[in-house]
Amino acid sequence: MQTRTKLNTIGRNTHRKDGIGKVTGTEQYASDVSVPRAWYGGVLRSPHAHARIASIDTSAAEALGAVCLTFADVPRVKYNERTNCAPPHLYRDRYVLDDTARHVGEAVAAVAAPTRALAEKALRAIKVEYEVLPAMLCAADALKDGAPKIHETILYRGKETPIEHNVAVTRLIEVGDIEKGFAEADSIIEREFEAAPVYHAQMETKSVVCKPAVDGSITVWATTQSIHNTRQLLAEIYGLPLHKINVKKIAIGGTFGSSIQMNSVVPICVGLAIKSGRPVKIATTREEDMYDHCRYQVRITLKLGFKADGTLVAGHMKTTVELGAHNTQGYHFLGVIAGFWVSLYKLPNMKYEGTAVYTNRTPSCAMQGFGAPQATFVTEVIMDEIAELLGRDPVEYKLTQYRGLGDTFWGQGPTVKSIILSDGVPELLEVGAKKIGWDGRPVPGTQTGRFRRGIGMARSFHCSGVGQPRKTGAEMIDYSGAIVKLNEDGSIDYIQSLMDHGGGTCEAIAKLVAEEIGVPLSMVGISDVDTNTTVYDITTHATRGVFAGGAAALKAAKSVKAKILDYASQLLDIMSESLVIEPSEELGQGVIYCPGYPEKRMTLGELAKYLHVNSWGTIAAVESLHPVTAPPAYVTYFVEVEVDTETGVVKTLAAALGSDCGTVVNPGLAAGQLTGGLSKGAGCALIEAHQWDRQTGELASKGFWVDGKTLSILETPLLENLHIDFAHTYEPTGPFGAKGIGEASINPALAAYSNAIYNALGIRFREVPITAEKILAALSTKKVRRTQPAQRELVNS
Amino acid sequence: MREKAIVFEVNERQHCTTIPSHRTLLEVLRALGYVDVKCGCEKGDCGACAVLVDGEAIDSCLTLAWTVEGRAITTVAGLGNSNNPHPLQAAFARNGAIQCGFCTPGVIIASESLLRKTPNPSDDEIRFALSGNLCRCTGYTKIFEAVREMVLTRSGGVLR
Repeated sequence: MQTRTKLNTIGRNTHRKDGIGKVTGTEQYASDVSVPRAWYGGVLRSPHAHARIASIDTSAAEALGAVCLTFADVPRVKYNERTNCAPPHLYRDRYVLDDTARHVGEAVAAVAAPTRALAEKALRAIKVEYEVLPAMLCAADALKDGAPKIHETILYRGKETPIEHNVAVTRLIEVGDIEKGFAEADSIIEREFEAAPVYHAQMETKSVVCKPAVDGSITVWATTQSIHNTRQLLAEIYGLPLHKINVKKIAIGGTFGSSIQMNSVVPICVGLAIKSGRPVKIATTREEDMYDHCRYQVRITLKLGFKADGTLVAGHMKTTVELGAHNTQGYHFLGVIAGFWVSLYKLPNMKYEGTAVYTNRTPSCAMQGFGAPQATFVTEVIMDEIAELLGRDPVEYKLTQYRGLGDTFWGQGPTVKSIILSDGVPELLEVGAKKIGWDGRPVPGTQTGRFRRGIGMARSFHCSGVGQPRKTGAEMIDYSGAIVKLNEDGSIDYIQSLMDHGGGTCEAIAKLVAEEIGVPLSMVGISDVDTNTTVYDITTHATRGVFAGGAAALKAAKSVKAKILDYASQLLDIMSESLVIEPSEELGQGVIYCPGYPEKRMTLGELAKYLHVNSWGTIAAVESLHPVTAPPAYVTYFVEVEVDTETGVVKTLAAALGSDCGTVVNPGLAAGQLTGGLSKGAGCALIEAHQWDRQTGELASKGFWVDGKTLSILETPLLENLHIDFAHTYEPTGPFGAKGIGEASINPALAAYSNAIYNALGIRFREVPITAEKILAALSTKKVRRTQPAQRELVNS
Repeated sequence: MREKAIVFEVNERQHCTTIPSHRTLLEVLRALGYVDVKCGCEKGDCGACAVLVDGEAIDSCLTLAWTVEGRAITTVAGLGNSNNPHPLQAAFARNGAIQCGFCTPGVIIASESLLRKTPNPSDDEIRFALSGNLCRCTGYTKIFEAVREMVLTRSGGVLR
């Protein structure tokens, strides 16, 4: 195993550079941007789940002094809001503003006015006549024969393509021969699962400011996970050259996937700014935000065949995904569910059938885990059940079947294949089992008191990005760029468009740069940047930030270091191969020296100053990089719960979370990803669900956030008995051996809680959230009619 | 629409502003440039907009601006700055109790309000005091630890 013997900053807890700004309130988010003469923008939203706009009269609003925008004022350009997929896989079905509303809360018109009060008044003054259409509020209704179409056609591969039966996209993926596989199986198990849609509940609502200039260019500050994709899409819609659109990188108040796509208010704000010729700012309300995005609702049927010794021989998965009103990324989402499923365990024969359906509800998009939480839920609950049927310890059994070192895995879908080169699973399972007291867990269904305890485990992974070795044909665009520059005093500017969601991604990358060049971390600055001054970065998504974005910055840092050594070689009269750069905390500088020749040394500051005063020029590098792998960031969850059988409430008593993120760049921040993952994961497993009124399509929460059930500090598992461990692995293809962590940290939660509750009660729950109501209902059913022994449900082939 | 001029203090600075009767304190503070007070929900759900009014934490989104006439408001920027951070701010930064940072101003304000009233709170009192502040990133663990560390420091290492 190749590791560096001495690391200066990587692996140490360091205070994040943006920390002091965040605690003192000076960090600026899009909604905090203040531009002179800016007007307030507001959006009029549909009260109907499905309606055609018969007429819009904005004259009364305009008489108040507002500038109004309707579908007649914006370019009739159909777009897909998430441009991470390569164009053959883009399904374009939306306009900036359309003449049809397809969900409650969809934008119908927009206004800009000098004050917020006037903007609100102007919105109320717009008169809209709707022709209300039948709404399909669930997949079953949308798929019915003769159901009205939510989209007549979409723009696909350059052509208007009809949508039949409201099916947006289907995927069929086959490996091997499942007929043959199931014929070889000694036992077959088939189960149905469902995971509810969930609101991202990021703290900052979507905000945007657009400032037009006299030359027709615009500057945009937006809540986004990708400033370059935002710029490209605005260019596509408004027909501007890219250089006339400058999108500023700015702090984001959490996203969890909800700003991978360009937010729907961004092009509306740009339209208002262009029409009014003034800067315009839109900050959406919480209610608007809740109608704008959520996690996909997923139903899965999984059939697995296995031998008497437990070897898996065949699997057949059928998935139905509810997209809501727009197909943000259905094709890719169907693919990743398949990818995450078949990459957990070795499965020689598999068939996957996925269907994504339009409904008249809030559009769905990626949320932390992107298909992995659902695929893991299904797989890990069924593997727990198979282990029980075989009379084996789930941990031991899974270790015989999982995909680990040397195996091929898919990462994000069938076009993202990699070989696993680092694997911390055995270590994490051993440590987690020991810390939670796995061997002392109860026998399911044997407890009788009011409070019943159970321990559950689940393992998962997330791929670090979507890199793969093929030169063409990938589903996903995946590359990052970075600029690294030596300043005239020996400090370093690290310049990258990659966004930091708050997890400390840019901080981690600054550490990679400091480590590589050999300067103290305090001498690396993270630059405030925009699209005009950076090279392209796809998006901070897919757990790729440190692994892929960091690799690009590291490549630039290596290039800068080579140039530094080249110049130092001339000045010190030493072969560059013999020179070393190390950080000196005492001098606050990187020091270049030749071991064994104490007189042959100079600080990086002295070198930079020499280059400057003698006009030798600036040392800088710009690099762009596509990773050729997407290594699995493994994660393991062991949770102990206590179920109150009188109230149905599930309390978390202990948790042991394990992460294999390769080299841990910043242990404190990495641990923070896991505690955050557990909190959100427990919420999704036990209480969270985004729900709509079955008649009206309105949100059941009416826009109240606590009714959407985001966990507070009182409900979150805040544990004395919380153990966090990192595997001791080194990823050969990662920067300094690092892999990703972010999304992985939530992926096993649904399954771990379901398995723990089964361990406590002897009842399997295959629908999440496992609410108190569902637990009480299941307990009362069990009292009346004892459940069939699990073996009876097996079909011997 | 009724308007009146009201006098109040923000971070030890006097303001006299004409405000319509229905404007919330959150809207007024942000319009005056105190954008460290975050707008999370405008419904009292999330606590991102918390400020101290005469030392007591309130949701500024649920407070009509007229009601703070003659009173002293402290926002998170009024507690300390980068050169001289308040000990709670330093504890949050040191403990990594921040991720995206959007909830942080409100959480620090709620913590400060608690510690002013109850210098040596129990764990449950800390949880209860922060129960009106949502955070989606951290899972609250490090926030809880940062507040606890402050309590420990102030009480000379004795936890209740």
